[in-house]
Amino acid sequence: MYSMLFRLTVLFLLMGAGAGFASLFKHTIPSVALGVALGSGLWLVWDTWRFLRFLDWLRRLHETPDAPPRLSGLWREAAQRVSRLLRKQARLTRESEARLENLQAGLQASPNGVIVLDEHTHIEWCNQMACRHFGLDARRDIAQSVTHLLRDPAFVAHLAARDFEQAVIMTSPVSSEAHPLRLSVRLCPYGQGRLLLISQDITVFEQAEAMQRDFVANVSHEIRTPLTVLAGFVETMQTLALSEDEHREYLDRMAQQAGHMRRLVDDLLMLSRLEGSPPPGLEDWTPIAVVLAQIEADARALSALTTGASAPQRLVFPAAAALPQAGEIAGAATELQSALSNLVNNAIRYTPPGGDIEIRWEAQPDGTACFSVRDSGPGIAPEHLPRLTERFYRVDSAFSRATGGTGLGLSIVKHVLQRHEATLTVDSAPGQGACFMVTFPAYRVRGEIAAGGAGM
Amino acid sequence: MTEKHLSSQFDSELTSICSKLMEMGGLLEIQIQNAIQALAQFSIPLADEVIQTEDRVDMMEVAIDHALTSIIARRQPAARDLRLLLAISKITTNLERAGDEANKIARRVKSIVESASARKMPIGDLRLASGMAITLIRRALDAFARLDLDTAVSILKEDDLIDQEFKGFTRKLITYMMEDPRTIGDSLNLLFLAKAIERIGDHAKNIAEFIIYIVKGTDVRHSSLTHIESVVQ
Repeated sequence: MYSMLFRLTVLFLLMGAGAGFASLFKHTIPSVALGVALGSGLWLVWDTWRFLRFLDWLRRLHETPDAPPRLSGLWREAAQRVSRLLRKQARLTRESEARLENLQAGLQASPNGVIVLDEHTHIEWCNQMACRHFGLDARRDIAQSVTHLLRDPAFVAHLAARDFEQAVIMTSPVSSEAHPLRLSVRLCPYGQGRLLLISQDITVFEQAEAMQRDFVANVSHEIRTPLTVLAGFVETMQTLALSEDEHREYLDRMAQQAGHMRRLVDDLLMLSRLEGSPPPGLEDWTPIAVVLAQIEADARALSALTTGASAPQRLVFPAAAALPQAGEIAGAATELQSALSNLVNNAIRYTPPGGDIEIRWEAQPDGTACFSVRDSGPGIAPEHLPRLTERFYRVDSAFSRATGGTGLGLSIVKHVLQRHEATLTVDSAPGQGACFMVTFPAYRVRGEIAAGGAGM
Repeated sequence: MTEKHLSSQFDSELTSICSKLMEMGGLLEIQIQNAIQALAQFSIPLADEVIQTEDRVDMMEVAIDHALTSIIARRQPAARDLRLLLAISKITTNLERAGDEANKIARRVKSIVESASARKMPIGDLRLASGMAITLIRRALDAFARLDLDTAVSILKEDDLIDQEFKGFTRKLITYMMEDPRTIGDSLNLLFLAKAIERIGDHAKNIAEFIIYIVKGTDVRHSSLTHIESVVQ
């Protein structure tokens, strides 16, 4: 309001000044009018100059955001208002950009793959996990049609049917034999015809499911085999008249099969007990000498039983004199003894008569302790090594069954050792014998062994 | 995928035919994968599935060719659009042939599963080559979707690796045949299998060449790698 008054005042003043100036020379009406016109002309020039400065600032605004030029009156207010509006706009843009960035960071942090699809199912945005799941490139593949890169027919059909209820299970395009990757992909509609694609890695679930299925099938098979034999003998004895000798022989074989089944069930129960119970603590300490002595006694008995006196296996155990210095071990003594004994028994079963088996207990410089069983048996081919501790995995199933193996021994060993935070390593090659090494962590062994550091 | 045209109808026709091609490519990837899995697991149901689905691949080829004829007749495309449509036609043919190879593998697998002696042959040695063939086809289709020249050139280079695997496998089969003439029948079966896998690699290579043709407008078939690299740069 004041600016308007000021403007008009300046205009009238200029006009008045022009008229006054003209009246100095001649007191006629036309000369006064001329003076007024001159005054208004001057005002127009001045005002236009200010307007041009303002316009010039506006034009250069998006290149160089300067402060508004020094103007007065209405032009100053106009410049200030524009400038304030722009500042507000810039702040709003910054805020919404920050919000968008936060939102994207949130989606990036999702453990699932997320792809935002526009109404033509072109990729609008995707997170890092989606890139990893589908082999996408977050920058290059924007605006690419999703079915051009995710070409699995099951997914394409799913997308075409616009089925938003169920997830589709597919193998990832980047899946390989070494790194299998199975995905569960879901589509969620939002907005107007837009879609959110969410992918989840289900490789581990599928593997666990397959393992469980295999396990049940294996157990049924393992139990049915001796059961069939047993039932066969029972049927024979029911229907045929047998001599005394045959009778005894059949009963012996039945007892053998029943024994096999009992061992199998015992092993299964052992496994489930190991899985179900809490890990052994660090309070119970057992002298290593006791454990090793028991193992040695069992081993010598088994070796004498299987190979006979003609060509005995040479068993080498740590010297009895050195045993008391071995120190103590923390954990469940019975479990440890049966696990280590199992390794020794395996060596005895697989080493031919006259072969060598060497059992060692060594303290390592870093405080850990290593129990090892080295035999001169046939050795194990490299392709079997990673699978040895799988349940019911047998390198030679006929031999294993003939010697009364259940296929669960090494699984139990692995479980026991895992509970004691120990590791099992197998070093072997066909014809080279095998060496099974168990390394116990430093905090589970104490006594002489930690200080001595010498092998026995 | 393509630049905008005055007629947005033409644009959407081009996009639609590309989508059809990629759909056919997706089906073919599964076909090859199933055929190779059938071989690795001696699975007859999987092999049967491949043989049954073969018809769908053939039908897709016919549908794409039909759409191509219609577009070319109505739009009379020029320059890059014409190259794209020509290349799509050629790529379709290559995909269909790769589908035939998958079909052949499936049929051989069935005859191998039925013969007990063939299962003792070194089939595991084909695993590496077949894995490479699947990867090459997948990368060729990805490169087409992205019109990605770098990937196209690297496919041309990697196809040689499959050829080397094939040669190595052939030499191995020859030693088998020389040691025991009774294995000749099975060895020949395996040789055809290996050849089919090698051909799939070749088809991937052809697709890569057409990608260079679309983008650069130069026909690089039967050219040396150094020439192709100079064209791409």
